[in-house]
Amino acid sequence: MRITQTMMARMFTGALRRQTQAMIVQQERIATQKRINRPSDDPAGAGRVLSGRAALAGLEKYASGIQQGKSRLEFNEETLKLIGDLVRQARRTAEEKSAGGVSAEERALAATTIQEIADQVLQLANARWNGEYVFGGDRKDAAPFVRDEDGNVTYRGERGEFLIPLPGGGRVAVDADGRNYFQNASAGGVNLFDALRDLVAGLENPDLAEGTVQIRAVIEPLERAEAQLRNKRAEVAPQAYRLQATGEHLARVRAAVQAAIGRDEDADVAQAIVELKNLEVAYESTLAAASRILQPSLVDFLR
Amino acid sequence: MTHLFGVLSTGTSALLTQQRAINVTGNNIANVNTPGYSRQRIGLETALPVATAAGMMSFGVVARGIERVYDRFLGVQIQDAGSKSGRWEAQQAALERVEALLDENGGWGLQAALSDFFGSWHDLALKPTGEVERTVAAAAAGRLAEAVRGRAEALEGLRRELDADLASALEQVNRLALQVAELNGKIARAELGGEAANDYRDRRDQVLKELSGWIDIRSCEAADGQVSVSVAGGRPLVESGNTWALRVEPGGDGHGRILWPDLDGGTTDITDAVRGGRIGGTLAVRDERLVAYRERLDELARGLLDAVNDVHAAGYGSDGTTGTALFTGTGAADLRLNPAVESDPRLLAASATAAGVPGNAENAMRLLALRETPLLRGGTATFEEAAQGLVSLVGFDVQQARAQAQHEGDMLGFLENRREAVSGVSLDEEMVNLLKYQAAYQAAAKLVGLADDMLDSLMSMVR
Repeated sequence: MRITQTMMARMFTGALRRQTQAMIVQQERIATQKRINRPSDDPAGAGRVLSGRAALAGLEKYASGIQQGKSRLEFNEETLKLIGDLVRQARRTAEEKSAGGVSAEERALAATTIQEIADQVLQLANARWNGEYVFGGDRKDAAPFVRDEDGNVTYRGERGEFLIPLPGGGRVAVDADGRNYFQNASAGGVNLFDALRDLVAGLENPDLAEGTVQIRAVIEPLERAEAQLRNKRAEVAPQAYRLQATGEHLARVRAAVQAAIGRDEDADVAQAIVELKNLEVAYESTLAAASRILQPSLVDFLR
Repeated sequence: MTHLFGVLSTGTSALLTQQRAINVTGNNIANVNTPGYSRQRIGLETALPVATAAGMMSFGVVARGIERVYDRFLGVQIQDAGSKSGRWEAQQAALERVEALLDENGGWGLQAALSDFFGSWHDLALKPTGEVERTVAAAAAGRLAEAVRGRAEALEGLRRELDADLASALEQVNRLALQVAELNGKIARAELGGEAANDYRDRRDQVLKELSGWIDIRSCEAADGQVSVSVAGGRPLVESGNTWALRVEPGGDGHGRILWPDLDGGTTDITDAVRGGRIGGTLAVRDERLVAYRERLDELARGLLDAVNDVHAAGYGSDGTTGTALFTGTGAADLRLNPAVESDPRLLAASATAAGVPGNAENAMRLLALRETPLLRGGTATFEEAAQGLVSLVGFDVQQARAQAQHEGDMLGFLENRREAVSGVSLDEEMVNLLKYQAAYQAAAKLVGLADDMLDSLMSMVR
């Protein structure tokens, strides 16, 4: 085969172009620390990286939702515990003040305490968390329990639950219907507000004997109200556990997904540097060879 | 018929012929870097022999002609490789722009918009009464619609740019076709006298090579040395001195079609028959790949308009309204957030029942569930997976085009090297020839000198 100057020049320029291109690729990898800088660098890998990122975005949302759910459950727990304590205090007062030999003054004093307790229970039943009424069911934007002049408390809320989305279409639903906590008299529960109202009425009754009967009548309902609150608190425990466990699981999945994205996307910088070094050697030796081979021709030797 | 003047004329013919050979060599050296130049060789022959007493004898040398060293089959192969290489180069360049268009690295990707959209419904499910959550959800839905629509518009814009590329490429084709026709005429006239029109032929080969880079052509040379060129499955583009000027005109979808003029004054649409050259590559991207990407976007948009809208319309906004569409439009090109929702985020239907307003989040949960439901690509891909699929598809196409462009470019380089091996000028070779002809010239000059001396001797005898 005849070899001409043009062929040699073309070969060298082609080789130099390919080598500089390969060097640019390695330099980009080192500069961005990424193996995939555009989808065509590795289409399948780029697809995996994207789906990993989508999964991460979802996981982050679930994790923050679970975090919110956990603090909501803690809020519920604290509120119910406080109300339970108040109810117990009211029941003890009822037991003490229904005994014989209690003066009208003592009962009047106790009546103010119970009224305070009733006010506080009402306030707690209208508690807000993150700007929403906790025990109003779906009616989250208005106080669910309203007391009229006669001391009767009515529920203005709705049925409803607080929902915490979990991955895979699951959910944790926290009962937000205040009636189930404080009122559900029709379904065999106890109306806590009525019991407290009756207790105040009994303590304030000027007829001490009649008052004693009235006071005794609320002891049993108050006990049941306490049990009702305890049951609702117990209901939350497995939900809290589920949130905790899911949250921990998500954290592990997140770490795994991040690692998988890294494996696909991140450049092996050490390897890239070694390859760049190799390319540099090839590039420089091509240049050296070109300067030795392209330069001389027969002309140099003709005198 | 041997006589002293015979020696003189032999010397003269040698002098002239070697000088001409040196001219040819010089021309080769001068054109060592001229693209498409084929080295030329002088054909030497002994002069016509003459019968002498000693027998047949020739007096001197003549140049038979100057011939061009080339391989006629390589020319056709180079045209073919040039077409393929041009096609994939154009395809690679156009597809790389699509790739940049669908970039997800900047955080403004389609998938990022989908993630934000579903994420905002997640927040809304946790706090359906939240003013902030509603505003964010409406904004995220608006951005998603804009992301889909923006990409559809950008793809359409790219198709229009390719239309412009096509128009200017056809101008090149027509210009080169005219040059071929013109060179055909020059070659025919020059060769009528039996002389080889070497330089015109080189020029024509070069023009044909350039032409094949733009569009796939078939060329064949007739007995009179004129080349006829046809495009798109045998429709003539050049025949001897005539050319058919290709035109581009907007077709039914507003994109340029290539028209070939019939003899009877009509035109034929040859767009789909052009497969090679930069024009072929441009058309493949414009009419196949970009259309396929657009279909994917449309599918995504329809998914939002059907599935998401269905769920949304079944729910109730925090002001009690129901039946509200979240998105409006018919496809990717006109996908928009419902303007009513945009101006009043209370319309976002988080509640599943009228009684549940405003705190019920059941419908938000249903909408959120669509994130993990495979609704697209025939029930195999979720929204986000469909967006990923589009990015991967473009990535694969770019990768393939790049590999093909590389491969066809290498193939073209290989063939050009083959051509160079046959027709290229080697300076070493020319230097050796130069020495050879110089030595012959010097010897011929000596011969003339010798004849002169002999004549002198002869004359001195007479004096």
